[in-house]
Amino acid sequence: MRLNCLLLLSALALPAAATEDLLQFESAEQQQLYRQLTAELRCPKCQNQNIADSNAVVAVDMRNKTLELVRQGQSHDQVIDFMKQRYGDFVHYQPPFQLSTVWLWLLPLLAVLSLALTVFRRSRASQHNTDEPAAQTELIDAQSEARLDAELQAMIDAAGDAARQKPKE
Amino acid sequence: MRKALFYVPLAAFLALSFFLLSGLFSDPRDHGSALIEKPLPPFQLPDLQQPARLVTAADFKGEVTLLNVWGLWCPTCNAELGFLTELRQQGVRIVGLYYVQPVDAAFGDTFDINKLRLDVQEKLAEQGDPYLFNIVDEKRSLIFDLGVTGAPETFLIDRNGVIRHHHVGDINPQNWPKIQQLYQQLQQGAADAP
Repeated sequence: MRLNCLLLLSALALPAAATEDLLQFESAEQQQLYRQLTAELRCPKCQNQNIADSNAVVAVDMRNKTLELVRQGQSHDQVIDFMKQRYGDFVHYQPPFQLSTVWLWLLPLLAVLSLALTVFRRSRASQHNTDEPAAQTELIDAQSEARLDAELQAMIDAAGDAARQKPKE
Repeated sequence: MRKALFYVPLAAFLALSFFLLSGLFSDPRDHGSALIEKPLPPFQLPDLQQPARLVTAADFKGEVTLLNVWGLWCPTCNAELGFLTELRQQGVRIVGLYYVQPVDAAFGDTFDINKLRLDVQEKLAEQGDPYLFNIVDEKRSLIFDLGVTGAPETFLIDRNGVIRHHHVGDINPQNWPKIQQLYQQLQQGAADAP
């Protein structure tokens, strides 16, 4: 049983190893760069797949072009620029920093800042409440407590009266 | 001031809702083109009907042209042929850029331009021929340089060989008026200029 599983697993691993072998690189750096680029570049035909992940014709063409450029010794930024000149900023998963995209960075920052400000203000406000108006609230509490006690007592008395009157009927 | 602050979360929620709602109606295929206002990239590709003749970017100078990327393998492109033929009859200059799909050498497939020519002739005789001529891009080099993601796609090219509009998807009676407006503007511009 265990041997069968092992055989099955090795059979599954075989095609993966075979496709890896098809691409020849001069150096480990170039291989690393190719992997990084195909993961970072976005397939323009698909909805949210990188070109390493897609088998759309355009993604295959982009992979081949990336391989060609990497083999020519072009740098990461050069390859990205090459693709952007043809397929636009859409093609790179890292958006450029410009006027229309500045909100991607600004909005989270603003949200965090405004939340921090709110928390800060609230904590100061609650401190104020416990410092100065404390005596006043205690006074109010004492007053209303006395009033509520009186009301409660009145209700108990009324209930008691009603109970005493009932048996007479 | 306090009262105004009270409405901030509501306003933020509404803004987010409108943003997400507008996303529902946007076209995910529409992500602009990097080549608008840029000249056609340099190329040298054979004419389908007479492969000895090499078409270059210079062939687009002097007249406003629609460059239509298409292929026999693409059903939408075939459906578009009829309307494009009507446009040609109205005097629109349309050039085809034939999108050759990759052939799988492992299956013994090879690219044969003569067979393609006969197939295309047959198809165009049947559906209508909108094309002045067809450029064959076997390796998809010009197609790659134009940032084409699939077929059909159409480029509007002005008389100086500059790309002015990139349309993804088919051209039909519903979306043609918008492109036509641009086309006529470019033509009038061409007439005004010396």
